[in-house]
Order: sequence, then C-alpha cells, then structure tokens
Amino acid sequence: MLNIICEVSKYLIIIFMVLYTVKCFSILASKDAKDRRKKLNKQIVYVFIIHFLCYLTMYLREGSLKLLIFYGVQIFVAVLYMALFHSIYKESSRLLTNNTAFLLLIGYTMLTRLDFGLAIKQFVLATIALGVTAFIPYIMSRWKNLRNMGVFYGIAGIFLLLTVFIPGLGYESYGSRNWIKIGSLSIQPMEFVKILFVFFVACMLVKANTFMDIMVNAIISAIFMLVLVLEKDLGAAVIFYITYVCMVYLATSRPIFLIGGVGLGVGAVLMAATLFKDTLFYHVMVRVEAWKDPFKFIDTGGYQVSQSLFAIGTGGYMGTGLYMGKADYIPVSESDFIFSAICEEMGVVFGLCLILVMLSVYISFADIAMKVRQPFYKYAAFGYSILFIIQTLLNLGGVTKFIPSTGVTLPLVSYGVSSVTSTLVIFAVIQGVYVIHNKEVIKNEKEKERIRSEAAALNARAGIPS
Amino acid sequence: MIFVFVAMIAYVIYFMEFEAETVIANSRNIRQDNFADDVEKGDIITSDGVVIATSNTDEEGNTSRSYPYGNTFAHVTGYDKYGKSGLELEGNFYMLRSHINIFEKVIKGLSEEKNRGDNIVTTVDYDLQTAAYNAMGYCEGAVIAIEPSSGKIKVMLSKPDYNPEEIDYIWNYLQTEEGASSTILLNRATQGLYAPGSTFKVLTLLEYIRENPTSYDNYSYDCYGSEIFTGVDIHCNDDTSHYTESLKDSLAYSCNVSFANIGTGLDYGKFRENMDKLLFNNNLPYDGDYSVSSFDIDANSRTDELPQTAIGQGNTEITPLHNAMIMSAIANGGVLMEPYLIERIENDDGGKVKKFKSKSYGSLMTSEEAQILTDYMESVCDYGTASSYFYGSSYDVAGKTGTAEYDNEGNCNSWFVGFSNPDNPDLVVCVIVEDYNTYGVSGTWVAKQIFDAYYSK
Repeated sequence: MLNIICEVSKYLIIIFMVLYTVKCFSILASKDAKDRRKKLNKQIVYVFIIHFLCYLTMYLREGSLKLLIFYGVQIFVAVLYMALFHSIYKESSRLLTNNTAFLLLIGYTMLTRLDFGLAIKQFVLATIALGVTAFIPYIMSRWKNLRNMGVFYGIAGIFLLLTVFIPGLGYESYGSRNWIKIGSLSIQPMEFVKILFVFFVACMLVKANTFMDIMVNAIISAIFMLVLVLEKDLGAAVIFYITYVCMVYLATSRPIFLIGGVGLGVGAVLMAATLFKDTLFYHVMVRVEAWKDPFKFIDTGGYQVSQSLFAIGTGGYMGTGLYMGKADYIPVSESDFIFSAICEEMGVVFGLCLILVMLSVYISFADIAMKVRQPFYKYAAFGYSILFIIQTLLNLGGVTKFIPSTGVTLPLVSYGVSSVTSTLVIFAVIQGVYVIHNKEVIKNEKEKERIRSEAAALNARAGIPS
Repeated sequence: MIFVFVAMIAYVIYFMEFEAETVIANSRNIRQDNFADDVEKGDIITSDGVVIATSNTDEEGNTSRSYPYGNTFAHVTGYDKYGKSGLELEGNFYMLRSHINIFEKVIKGLSEEKNRGDNIVTTVDYDLQTAAYNAMGYCEGAVIAIEPSSGKIKVMLSKPDYNPEEIDYIWNYLQTEEGASSTILLNRATQGLYAPGSTFKVLTLLEYIRENPTSYDNYSYDCYGSEIFTGVDIHCNDDTSHYTESLKDSLAYSCNVSFANIGTGLDYGKFRENMDKLLFNNNLPYDGDYSVSSFDIDANSRTDELPQTAIGQGNTEITPLHNAMIMSAIANGGVLMEPYLIERIENDDGGKVKKFKSKSYGSLMTSEEAQILTDYMESVCDYGTASSYFYGSSYDVAGKTGTAEYDNEGNCNSWFVGFSNPDNPDLVVCVIVEDYNTYGVSGTWVAKQIFDAYYSK
C-alpha cells in the first residue's frame, strides 16, 4: 500500500511539474490581467501540491515526525511571504514571487532528502534573507541616489573580492581561493560582489558619453576579472565577463562591442589555456580533460561528473522516487550537483521542466528590463538577468556534461548561504525595478487622464463637443 | 541564450536516449545493486549454449548464485560477492536488467515475484575451455585463446583456480596469515606478468626487419652454442650449436646466441618506440582488469642490457593477454581487434537485447610485416622447436615456443603463442605453464590440445 502511494505520488509530482512549467510560459504570454490572475493562482496550487506530495512520500518512507513539522513551517512561511509581499508592493510581479517560492521549496525538499540539518539551515537563512531583501524595493523607490554611486560600487566590490587573500580569513576550496570564514559561517564574497559589479557597470554606462568613458569603465571591470582569475575562480570570471559584454552591448547597441567582446573573451581563454595551463589554470585543464571523457578519469577529475551521469542515467525519465535512489552518493549533491540528485529521484522529466522554469525566470527578468525606461534600472535589470542565466547555464551544463564543470551553484535550489542570499537580493532588485516602472506607468496614466480631462473641460467651456 | 538552453535540453534528451544505457552499465555505478531488489540476476551462458552461472531462489525467497562448472570457468565468471570479479562484475548491470515482456512483468509484479534478469552470452567456448582446463591439469599458469578476426576471447583460464560457490570459505582463508600470500583469485591470463622468454624473439625479429627492411633476408650467423656479448654470457638451450643459420632458422630453432647478436645491433630508441606502439608500458584496449606489460630499454640503456632483452629475459614483463593480442594482430594482417568477453545480451526467453560488435583498435604493424612474421613462425612449427608437437596434425600452425627462466637455478616457465591455419587464421592460442621442470607439461602441448579440440568440433 505504502509503495503504491509513493509510486502514484511520483507520477503526480511529474504531472503537476509539467503543468507548473506550462503556466510559467503561458503567464508570460498572457496579456489579459484577469486571465493572468487566474493562472497565477493555479500555479500556487500546483506548487503546494508538488510540495505536499514530496513531503508525503518522504514521510511515508522515513516515518519521522520532524518532517511534518518542517513541512508545516515551510508552508506557513511561503504563504506569509507571498501574501505580505503583494499587500505591501501592489505593483510587484506575482510570477516572480511564485517562482521564488517554488525554487526555494524544491531546494528545501531535496535538501531534506539529502541532509535534514542542511535543509533546516538553508530554510532559516533563506527566510531571514527573504525578510531583509523585502525592504529592497522600498529602499530603491525612496533612495534615488543609487545611480550616482558608481565609484562606491567599484571600490567596495574590488575590496570585498580582495578579502579572500587576507590570511586567516580567506581559504581555498576545490582549487579556487574564493571563500572567507567568519565564525562558523563560510561566505563567497564573489556572490555579493557580482551584485555590486552590475550596479557599477550600470552607473558607468549611464554616464558614459564618449568612447573614453567606456574605456575607463572597461579597465575597472577588467580589474574585477583579474582578481577573480587570481583567485582561480574561473567560473565567476566567465559570469562577470559575459554579463559585462552583454550590458555594454545593450547600452550602446553597437554590434562591434558584442563581436569584439566575444572575440576578446575567446582569445583570452585560448591564451590563458596555452600560457598558464600548468600553473594558474592547472585545475581548469583537469576539468576540461574530465569533461572530454569523465569515465577515463573517474578516480581523479572525472569523479564528480561520472557520478552525476550515473545518477541521471540510472534514475531515468521518471526517477526512482524520493529516498529510493542513491542521490546521497553524488559528490556535493547538496550544492553544485543538486540537479543530478533531483533528476535521479524525481525524474529527468522533472529536471527538464526545472530547466524550463529557470529559463522562464530569465525571460521574465529580461522582459522587465526591456520595459523599463530609466537607463540605470534598465541596465541593472538586464545585467542581473544575464548573471542569473549564465550561472544557471554553467551549473546545469556542468552537471550534465554539456559543458565543462565550473563549480557554481544552481540559484535558489542549491544549498549555500552566499548563493541563496545574493540570488534573493537579485530577485528583490528586479522586483524593485518592476515596482518603480509600474508606479511610473500608473503615474503617466494618471497624468494622461488628468490632461485628457482638463482638455475635455477646456473644450466644454469653449463649446466644442468632445 | 534561449537557443543555448534549448540545445542543452536537446542534449539531455540525447544523452538519455543514446548514451545513458552505456554510461550506467559502468561497473563503478553503485546503483546497479539496487536493481537486485526486484530482479533475479540472469545467467552467464557460453557461446555454445552451456550455462556456467545461474541464480536459484529458495522457498523463502532468498537467491543465491551457482556455478555448474565451478572451477573450469572460475576466472571467466568470477564471483558475485566481496566487490565481485570477472563477468559477475563486468556484466552485473546487464544481468540485473530485465527485458522480459511487459505482461509477464505486470503479473510478476502483482504476485510480488522477482523478474528474471537478462542473460549474458559470453564469447568463451565450453569445449575449448574444458580442453584447456583438462590439458593444464595440476599445473599453474594461464591460457587465453582469441579469434583474431573478431577479438572474441574463446578461452580464458588461470590456474590455480577455485570454485566461485565457495567464495565465502576462500575469502576467509585469504584473511588468514597462511592465505595472505595466495594468488588463487588472481586472473593470471590478464593480470599475471611474466618474462616473455623466447616468445619475445618474434618482436626482436620485427624490430630487426623494420630497421633493415631490404637486407634482413641476407642475415646469416654462425652459432657455436654460446657466446659473450658486451660481457654477457649467452647460451643456447643445452649449449646446442646451430652452426650457420639464416634469420628464419634462428627463429625456428630459437637460437639465443643469434638473437643476442641481433639485439646488440638494434637502435635502442627506436626499439623502445616500436615496443610502446605494440602497447608495452601502455593501457590495453580491454574492458576487464589487466596488468600493464613493461619494456624498459630506451635510448639511454646500457649495451649489456640488450643481449638478455632481445631473447626475452631482462626486465621485460608481459601478460598472456597482451602476448595473445600481439599474436592476434599478426594473424589478422597487422590489425588488432579489441579482445572482448561478452558477445550479446538476451532476455530470459532468448530474445536479443543487445549485441556487442567487434571493434578494431588499429594497425600494430603493416600487413607485409605480419606476413613475414607469419611465414617465419610457420617454420617454428614445421621444422623448428614446436615441430615435434604438431607433426602429423590435420592443421597448420604458426607460432613461437618459449622457456623463460625465473630464477638462477634453471627453473623456468613454458610458453607457447601462435595461431592455426596461417593462410586464413582461425584461432590464436597463448599458453604459459609455470614451473616446467616439475610437471614436464609444455605450453606447446597444452596449445595442441586446444587446437585439436577446435578442429574436432
């Protein structure tokens, strides 16, 4: 009986996941406000069904009461978050809050399966971060000076990045020196610096009028990337670089910057690969080798990717069901390789849907960026959309052997204090941009309305029929 | 960006459709044992249809493995516990998958019976393996036979052997002080490293031909039973003098003095390069466990290392598998077919699930070189050191005998490596019998028993 319930739940989870994914895209396409509201409400129902079935399965398999309590607390926080956020910010994007809640809940679910302690830790920190970041849209709409602080963002960003070189504070992990430890809390400064970096580039681009300005901007940006390269955090350097090139292209709309940027990037990678392959980039070369044939290097560099592919392949399209696979055998399955764990136990179909949901989040970010008129917010929102999607691509591509593994987390789903917090900041900034934009639209509408009514009044006084 | 994501999704689907089955069959995938929860492991069957490993389920639902021809196929099947070995390890995944038809699956599922796993059909031949097993008798050593045109391993035998059904007992024995030095579980055919002895002369010959492509046929040497080369005393077997001999005769009579003479004249650097190309000091294209053969002469070697190395003593070490692979390439016009043990996977009703194709590794030598070596090795069996064994047999053989000393008291291992029907080679056989002086069983005699069995089929 127990088995039957779990098996049926497994298929239901997949069905509702597919429905949720479809809704993500149909909401993006929908123009009618009423229709959207209906779909958004349905989406929330799907999220809670998926989440409920997952915890039901886990409870039946494990039989521990703490799972049920944890489940209840999660639901409470998720409902509270969505309700409060929308009552405070009436103009915010509900699709984004839905996706935020959905991705966090999927992350909690998988972490509960892998390591209950980590799940609790992630939940507590993410909840605090949700509370704190909820003020961001408010701050943004009040504090107009944000766009004039480019120098501050630049200096603060580089300084923060350099903290990893302070002895006793920074330390090395998986070949990259990109962590600092404060008490028992490990933080990746890069996760926060990327937020400052996008603000910095956005400020500079707003002010840049001449080619010289763009060059100065480019040099300071290059310093960011140089520091990252020295930290041997190549994944981050790639994310920063692509984000930078895309933002410059958006601001200038000159194809030369895009083509030149891509060419320069490829050239730099090739040069680095030949010049420093035995020193600075040794661990990168190992990863590339492991990517070409992970099974040949299964005992060394290919171990993680091999285990990841074993998990995805053995789980199959429908997955083994929660607790029925060996997801806990995948190395770092709680953070970088959480997607493999999800695929193994919840099915590759679920995994493919998750990829599409991530893509829809990017599209909604980009959509907001395109609508906004104020250049600073436009560039910033666009920069964050690129940050988000590149990080997602590096993670998903790395664990599926689509591209070499770079060791970045899956936004909101992976365990990681810095990663979750910084992603929530990004989501909040985008919400803030959206709120500012909508307020402006409403203000404009009102203005138009006022002018129209004034005009009508004038006409009426002059005796011209309207 | 959207395009990249679509490409990634397409890639994941491609992976699931075309690559996943092969990837997850990797023996390092720990998830395979989970399949055993609802599948009863399938059988291992020889290429001629004899079941050599099967599962039995008792009334309480406990399954156990049994091996009807236990010792004979010990190193082919391997054992199913303690990390597994042999086909039980390599083919574990396939035997734990069930491709029986869906109705049967549903019925078994409802009655809570386990599904019957797929069966492995191995390339190993029951008759040939049994002939090899009987011929080896009490001797220690190894036999491997390969079909050169396909790479199918027809015989894989290692002595001493064991009965895989008694693995619990053996495993406990190996933990004791007395058992710690036992090599009973070692598959000597693929993992045993031996001095190649005179079988290496074939490779010295190949090197000589490569360095003297036009003049090798004019070689002539006067052998008086022993001679000193760069301070190293080289003797022929029993100090027999071979007098004036051609290159072909040197090989046929396995003349140590003549080959030591050839060896000292070789280009060491090229010698090393060519031996590396023959897969010494390299990984072999073989999926199971094996040891890597070694050849340590290089451009900087001292001249007094060459005379011994040229006749297969020195520091050179080779596995029977590797020796058979080189011979297999010679038999196949220089092209090495990768040796393999699993011919196909069938479901419980005998329906085909997957067939393994033979794969070419590439050329180890030109077809001309292979032809010359074949021609020379025929003389070994016509009038040379192996002729007394094959006199009057219904088939022709090209091969090379070898006696490799492993200490200074004249104790030696006896080798034979060669193939039958040189015009259109049928079977490569490589035999090593340890401690020839004690049992008096020679590698060539064992090889003949296998060829006889092959041609009486």
